[in-house]
Amino acid sequence: MGSKAWLVEDESAREMLDRVLTERPFLLLPPLHRVPLRVGNIVEIVGPSPSAKTHILIQAAITCILPRQWKGVNYGGLGHLAMFLDLDCRFDISRFSDLLNHRIMEAANGSSSEVDCQIKESEAQNATTKPYNEELFASCMRRFLYIRCYDSSEFLATLKTLHYRLQKERETHGVNVHVLLIDSIGAFHWIDRGSSSFSLEGDTRKSLHLQSVTETVVQEIRKLLLVHPMLVMATKAAVLGNRYSMNDSKRNYRTWSAKDNLHSRNVTSSDQQVPYREYMPAVWQSLITHRILVRTTDADFVNGEHQNVSTYLSEWLLPPLNSVDKFIVRDVRKHSCFAVFKKKNQISTLSFSCI
Amino acid sequence: MAPLKNLETEYPIIDSNFQNFCASHGIFSVEDFLIHDLYMLAAFAEQNVSSERLKEGITQILSIIDDMHQPWLNGMELLEDAKRNKHFLPTGIQGVDLLLGGGIRVGQLTELVGPSASGKTQVCLQTASNVARNYMMLYLDTGNSFSPQRIAYFLGKTNELASAQAKNQILQKVMSNILCHSVFDIFAMFDVLHQLESNLRCQERGGGCRIRLLIVDSISLLIAPVLGGTSTRGRALMASAGYLLKKLAHQHNLAVLVINHTVGSEGGTSKPALGDSWKSIPHSRLLLSCDRGSNVYNVSILKHPSMCLAVSTLRYLSRALFCIYLCPFYIRLLGRLQGLLFRTCPYRFAGDEKNIEKMELFHE
Repeated sequence: MGSKAWLVEDESAREMLDRVLTERPFLLLPPLHRVPLRVGNIVEIVGPSPSAKTHILIQAAITCILPRQWKGVNYGGLGHLAMFLDLDCRFDISRFSDLLNHRIMEAANGSSSEVDCQIKESEAQNATTKPYNEELFASCMRRFLYIRCYDSSEFLATLKTLHYRLQKERETHGVNVHVLLIDSIGAFHWIDRGSSSFSLEGDTRKSLHLQSVTETVVQEIRKLLLVHPMLVMATKAAVLGNRYSMNDSKRNYRTWSAKDNLHSRNVTSSDQQVPYREYMPAVWQSLITHRILVRTTDADFVNGEHQNVSTYLSEWLLPPLNSVDKFIVRDVRKHSCFAVFKKKNQISTLSFSCI
Repeated sequence: MAPLKNLETEYPIIDSNFQNFCASHGIFSVEDFLIHDLYMLAAFAEQNVSSERLKEGITQILSIIDDMHQPWLNGMELLEDAKRNKHFLPTGIQGVDLLLGGGIRVGQLTELVGPSASGKTQVCLQTASNVARNYMMLYLDTGNSFSPQRIAYFLGKTNELASAQAKNQILQKVMSNILCHSVFDIFAMFDVLHQLESNLRCQERGGGCRIRLLIVDSISLLIAPVLGGTSTRGRALMASAGYLLKKLAHQHNLAVLVINHTVGSEGGTSKPALGDSWKSIPHSRLLLSCDRGSNVYNVSILKHPSMCLAVSTLRYLSRALFCIYLCPFYIRLLGRLQGLLFRTCPYRFAGDEKNIEKMELFHE
């Protein structure tokens, strides 16, 4: 009887789709909007420093912690928890709160893209809607969980105990952690590589060097995702092979990879195709489901009124979409936000279209 | 990291049986647990005769590991800490303070990049003299560039109207608040910083910690010699130094200011001595440059956590212009154009208004 009831209770495909879309919504966040992202995906954002990588993570976190609707206003968020593992130790909470405030004001004023003509208006309304927004702001900020790690052992200790932390947070907040943000994954690369030379007593003992650390990180994330489905987004600082340092980077690349192959064989052989120098071990590469490259543009920015504007390019490497998107981070007073997205140089039609 | 046998006195569950079990899997310390699959270990423990006790031991180890990481904080707690502790330290140079929105941030690592004689040490000394009026500060000097005379000079200039006695009092206070250390290699710097860390920890327990600023002039002179070649150890030292500075800054509420000099690169242009792998370490990076002809000094933000800037080395989105002449210095805020701008005039031209106006015209 039990099994029959279970069968009868089953849902139609339409109901299932509705349920899945509400329980595991897509994150369509510019400039990652070309590929719908959902829990279980592991996205790597590669780019030189600075290329708005952390900014993309912050915007993802804000989208995640904002409610879908609150007191009749549509905020378009997910209303879940967001976790931020700060390995670079450069996170600035005041910027985060500025951006969150900006998003709240933007939604409250019903504006969509015309940010700067309404900024003055929103300032005027700021005074009247302050207590109203304060409550929302505080509840959003409480849904943002942050930790900083100063070395690999702290990072591993965090990952090892993350399962219990996630359970605890789910109990206290009643919602799941939807995104896990890591900024940035290669932060301890040099320290871990340096420590690989101190191998101690015997072969059975693993030491805390690059290969074993990365293996454990990958293993822990894999296991975590089985029990707590989350969207994982990690940034990776990369050195682009650019015009003036081409010779330099080639020379370095050859010596480094030769050295790597000697003891850990950790660099993939398909390196030559990517426009940056890959340094994360292959085991990390195999974990990644999506990869996007961001970089600054060489093109001149529009001067004059758009003085506080930075233009970046984004390009999906995994899945490989042959299109380059231009996105702009605008500094509105202290608020920077993604504002304009222009399609540039679109070569192929998109197979991953957004709903 | 604690070897397991040292934990036995504190946690009786980690007995010799448990230690032997761990040793058979190549685990001798808590650190070893970090890179082992604990679920797999628990599965092995299942097969053992005393499986319950072993699993209890693993749970105990897990709670020890839980204390090894920094505490989890939510956004409100972070914001509260930032509002209470992470304020701005004014550098005392008006243009720079305006550009940075109030000065260098406590809890952050700020880097000054520039060719020689572009005013890097000048900015450091001036910041030191300004901050030392209220707080203690530590100056790590790697190239004998610290000059008490120049600091005394700044103080004299900013307190021109004060009486001789008041001037002397300020001078005494500022000089006693500046701790200067000469370090000539990176290991000496690690020594000093670890010493500082333990001192600060003691002082904080006593409640009387007043060190607010740490200047390393210049960090590139310490790091550049250990870099180079194919050795990864130099880079590991560099990254460790960066993390140590950031940890000190955040946990003990210090503002850290470091200097990075520039070297020539292939294209005939100059580039920062600590390049791409250092770039992701500091919070903000300021580029100083000097126009030899007009003696106008530029400061540009190359990177800042709350200003999203994508700038190549040739164009700057926001900048402050200022002039610094070799001693004597005289700084005067004249006005602002376009971005943020201020200039200083040489002491000998202090009264020469015509000359200043000419400079202003030139820039407009």
